[in-house]
Amino acid sequence: MITVALAKGRLAQESAALLKECGVDADVVFSDTRKLVLESADGQYAFFLVKPSDVPTYVEYGIADIGIAGKDTLMEEDKDLYEMLDLKFEQCKLCVAGYPEMKKQLTNSHLRVATKYVNTAKKLFASRGEDIEIISLHGSIELAPVTGLSDVIFDIVQTGSTLKANGLVVLEEVYDISARLVVNKVSLKTKADVLLPLIEKMRKKV
Amino acid sequence: MKRRSYYRLPAGVQDLLPDECYNLNLIEKKLEEKFMLAGCSRVQSAALEYYDTYAEIKNKIPQKKMFKLTDGDGSLLVLRPDMTLAVARMAATSPLALPAKLCYFSNVWDYAGAGSYTIREIYQAGVEFLGRSGAFSDAQAIAFAIECLQAIGLKDFIVDVGHAGFFKGILQECDLDGDAVEEVRLLVNAKDAPGAQALLEKYGAPRRAADALAALPTLFGGEEVLSRAEKYAGSPAAREALDRLKRVYALLKDFGLEKYVSFDLGTVKDLSYYSGVVFTGLTRSIGSPILSGGRYDNLADDFGRHVPAVGFAMGLKRILIALERQGALRPAAPRADVVIFSEEGAETKAYQAYLELTAAGRRVDLAAGDAKEAETLKNAGMVVLKATKKGVEKI
Repeated sequence: MITVALAKGRLAQESAALLKECGVDADVVFSDTRKLVLESADGQYAFFLVKPSDVPTYVEYGIADIGIAGKDTLMEEDKDLYEMLDLKFEQCKLCVAGYPEMKKQLTNSHLRVATKYVNTAKKLFASRGEDIEIISLHGSIELAPVTGLSDVIFDIVQTGSTLKANGLVVLEEVYDISARLVVNKVSLKTKADVLLPLIEKMRKKV
Repeated sequence: MKRRSYYRLPAGVQDLLPDECYNLNLIEKKLEEKFMLAGCSRVQSAALEYYDTYAEIKNKIPQKKMFKLTDGDGSLLVLRPDMTLAVARMAATSPLALPAKLCYFSNVWDYAGAGSYTIREIYQAGVEFLGRSGAFSDAQAIAFAIECLQAIGLKDFIVDVGHAGFFKGILQECDLDGDAVEEVRLLVNAKDAPGAQALLEKYGAPRRAADALAALPTLFGGEEVLSRAEKYAGSPAAREALDRLKRVYALLKDFGLEKYVSFDLGTVKDLSYYSGVVFTGLTRSIGSPILSGGRYDNLADDFGRHVPAVGFAMGLKRILIALERQGALRPAAPRADVVIFSEEGAETKAYQAYLELTAAGRRVDLAAGDAKEAETLKNAGMVVLKATKKGVEKI
C-alpha cells in the first residue's frame, strides 16, 4: 500500500484530481467523511488529509510515502525529503511587501519583518547579511505594516488585491511558489516498483 | 511523591528500560560475533575531544551539530560527533599496525538532531576496514553490511550504493565555489532536478556538466542505472567512479548478493569525507536509513597519516524500531527463574544455595521472608525455594 499525505483544502482537491488522471483511485478524497485515513476502494492507496505544514512531517517520517505541498511550506519546514516534481498548480509568489516609501524608525536600526514564514525569512535575510527583527504572525499579515507593527511583510502574494486595498506594494518577488510532489527518501527505493511509474506519469501530466 | 521538572530528560535523549535493553543486547551480541568472525578488533574512543579536532580539519563537522563544553584551561571540547572521524584519528595517531579492521559500539552526539526520529544521542555499531583500497575491499564492506543486517534478523532491506566521485567528477568541470557546490549538492540530494538545472544555468556551468547534474537525481534504481550513467561520465573522475561501481557490482553479483543491491548516483552525502563508494541501508519498516557508510581514503590525512579505508555504521535505535514493526522483538526474559526465600538465621544457607545454582547457570533471586508470594511466583513458572536452619527445600 502507498500512503499519501495531502494538504487539506483546495490543494488536496487539485492533487487528487491529478492523481486520478495518473490512474490512482483517489475518489475517496472527494467524499464527505469524518474519517482521518481514507483508503482507496481498490485498497492500494491510503490518503491522510492534514494541515499543509504537516505534510512534510508525515513524509519525512515515512508515515506517508509521498505528499503534495506548496513550495512555501517545504521551504519553511525544511525537512529531509526528495522533492521530485513541480506540479505547477497553486502558483503564487513569496514576496517582501510594504509601503512604497518606507518610514524608518530612528530607534530601531533593524528592519521589522512580519511573517508566518519565520524560518524562511530568517534564512533569506541572513544570506544577504541583513539584521532583521522577525515578528511572527499567523494570519492577516498585511495588517502589520498598516498598524505600524512592522516595516514590511514577507508573505504569499496571489492577486495582490489585499495589498492594493491597503496602500501596500510588492517590494520584491523573492520565490516562485507552486505545489510540489515530495517523496520519503526510503520509500522511493523500497517501493520503487509502484512509485517510479507513478512519478513518471505525473511528470508527463504537468 | 513530588515530581520535579528536572527529573525529565533533555530533548532528544532517552533511557532504555529492560525490555528495550534486552533486545538491544541481543542485537549487540549477534553483531559482536559477526564482527569477531570477520577479524575485527573492538575499540572505544573517548567521548570528549577537542573542538578543533572536528572544526579545524578539511572535512569539518558543522559547528551547530556539536555539543560543546569548556575545559578547565578554557579549551573548547565537544562530545564526539562522528565515529568514523574518531576512528580515523585513533588510527592515524596511534601505533596501530595496518591493515586493520576495527569495530565499535558507541554513542555519537548531534546537537542539532538531524532528520526525523530526532535523537541527539545516537548509539551506533560500526566497522572500519583500514589500510586497504580497491574494488574487492569495497565489495567486502557492502557484503558485510548485508551480512550484519541479516544476522540481526532484519527482513526486507536493501543496500543502496553510489559513488562520491561521480558527483565530484562532474562538479570539477563546472568551476563553482564552495557555497555554490553546497547549493547544488542540496538540490541534487533532494532529487530536485528542475531546481538543480535552474541553478546551474544561473552559474553558467558548461552544458555537458549541467546536463549530467540535472540527470543525477534520476540516476537511481537497479543495475541499469550504471549503463544509463555512461553518457554522463565525461570527466576522468566520473569515469573512474562508474568503472569502480561496475566492478563492485560484478563482485557482489558473484557473491550472490545482487538482490540486496540498488544504485543511486544522486546520493550526495553531507559528510564530505567520502571519496569512493557510498552506501545506505534501507528497509520499508522505517522511513530513515538504518545503515550508512562508504570509502574515505583521504580522511586520516588530516590527522597526519594516509590510511585508505572503508566502513559503515548502523543506527541501533532505528534498527530496533524497524524490528519492532516487523514483529521481531520480544519482552525481556523474567529476571530470575529461581527465588530463594530465607528465614531469619538461614541467610548463609540461602546464599550457599544461590552460589551453587548460579554456578549451574540458573538465574536466582534472594529474598527475606516467609514465602507469602510463593503461589504467585510458582504460577508465573518460577521455582520457589525456602531456606530454613535445617536446609533448603522446594515449596
